[in-house]
Amino acid sequence: MTTPTVLATGPAPVPTTSWRGSSFGTQVLVLTTRSLRALVRDPRLVIFSLLQPLIMLTLFSQIFSSIANTPGFPRGVSYIDYLMPAILVNTAMQSALQVGVGLVTDMKNGVLARFRSLPIRLASVLIARSLSDLVRSAVQLTVMLVLAVAVFGFAPAGGVPGVVGALVLALLVGWGLGWVFLAIASWVRNAELMQTVGFLAMFPLMFASSAYVPISGLPGWLQAFADVNPLTHAVDAARSLALAQPVTGLVGAVLASVVLAGAGGVLAIRGFRRPAQ
Amino acid sequence: MTGTMIEARDVGKTFGEVKALDGVSLSVPRGTVLGLLGHNGAGKTTLVNVLTTLLPPDSGSARVAGFDVVADAHGVRSRIGLTGQFAAVDEQLSGTDNLVLIARLLGATSREAKARAAELVELFDLVDAAKRPSRTYSGGMRRRLDLAASLVGRPDVIFLDEPTTGLDPASRLRMWEIVEELVSEGTTVLLTTQYLDEADRLADSITVLSAGAVVASGTSAELKAQVGQRTVTVTMASSSDVAPARAALERVGLAPQFDPKHGSLTTPVTASRDLAVVVRALDDAGLEAAELALGEPTLDDVYLTLAARAA
Repeated sequence: MTTPTVLATGPAPVPTTSWRGSSFGTQVLVLTTRSLRALVRDPRLVIFSLLQPLIMLTLFSQIFSSIANTPGFPRGVSYIDYLMPAILVNTAMQSALQVGVGLVTDMKNGVLARFRSLPIRLASVLIARSLSDLVRSAVQLTVMLVLAVAVFGFAPAGGVPGVVGALVLALLVGWGLGWVFLAIASWVRNAELMQTVGFLAMFPLMFASSAYVPISGLPGWLQAFADVNPLTHAVDAARSLALAQPVTGLVGAVLASVVLAGAGGVLAIRGFRRPAQ
Repeated sequence: MTGTMIEARDVGKTFGEVKALDGVSLSVPRGTVLGLLGHNGAGKTTLVNVLTTLLPPDSGSARVAGFDVVADAHGVRSRIGLTGQFAAVDEQLSGTDNLVLIARLLGATSREAKARAAELVELFDLVDAAKRPSRTYSGGMRRRLDLAASLVGRPDVIFLDEPTTGLDPASRLRMWEIVEELVSEGTTVLLTTQYLDEADRLADSITVLSAGAVVASGTSAELKAQVGQRTVTVTMASSSDVAPARAALERVGLAPQFDPKHGSLTTPVTASRDLAVVVRALDDAGLEAAELALGEPTLDDVYLTLAARAA
């Protein structure tokens, strides 16, 4: 025999426990923990997402190391010191794409359908996604940095404060971009499509920028593009911090990230509220 | 609190050219089960989505547990549980963690959430699997976890959208028992189904939906009386007994029809005790039936009759 009132509110006038909703802070915390737990349970996700930047780090540091001897390259800077800030920014951007993919996956596996029928604010679902990805990204970038120092001899002039500055900036850029992908995800709702479009957009952005070679070494038309490419500014800012050079484009990069996050956030929440059909 | 827990007035919903709901009205008193019967595409799920605040209606209005589904969606959500056609669980998380997550989001403390999860895991026979990721669960287990998840907050009203579609008979039966327990504790249930026997067993009243409109409603008995009754089919051991059997049944007021293909007599009956009447009539005439079968009207019969009437 089962005791009554266990399954549902019994005939008792005042139910002993009746939970009618939690605070916004609790919702964000509980949902962020949920996403992070999935990562702890399945660390393959973190390991696989480290593979691509590691391959880039290894290949580029070996293939392009002679670029450091070309005219136009900053004097007295080794290629790994030049490259690493760009790898940080690139990795954070890849991770931003993953936030969107994660959201679409949640929509597919049905758990979002459950959240929609609960008395919670849907914005908490998005903020939790963004936060948990920020944590994942921070872990990922730190692992990359440790490897770069230990294996590839990364030792920029900016020292620890400069490197931490570059790391924080990369995370900020990735966070801002993450909201753009959350917005796309909540309107497009298709992981494959997002991944394809994201990859196609990011590939030229990364290469037609100051990430791997100085802009002065690019052909003229590409230089013109690289000059206006927002990624150039983000990479330049991160690099100037790490190399202890006069800081360039920092304010622009920070502002751009915050604006992207704000605009992305508004669009994401609006798109996310649209009913699933 | 007594009264009406679900009330829909003239609810309409259109997707592009398709009228998914065309002025649906219904009302479900507290502590009862409404069976929403209809084929795929009849509008059952759309109606559930409107009543659970997942879709805003284009026209009309609806109240659940006293709250308007549009103006006070939050109020509705805090008092309902929803189990859809597809299990809405986090496949990465274990059964227990899924339930704890919902409880925490509803406002339970960590300790309360764990206690509630343990309670539900026990009730739904998921103890052995509670710590495994739910992606390893069988279909029936996943459905049970899903239903458990929708009961975490002890909702006043539960929406079950085709809760037994695709389940094996044992799981189906277990699901029915759970619903009956819930109702005995005062919960109001709206259940959609394609199966007349399911509605028959669980529902206090049945509403039949076709092409987004209510085409019939009433208790199971009323509905069956409306749309074509149960039948008793009698097959006699020897063909020479058919004529006397027919006479015997007519004597007790039944109207048997002869089916030459099977050599059997089929008579409409109104209640299950009429089966006993048939047996007694044959017995009194000293006849022996080789086979006696009770035929239930199917959802198709319901539709065919209603469509024929509408034409």
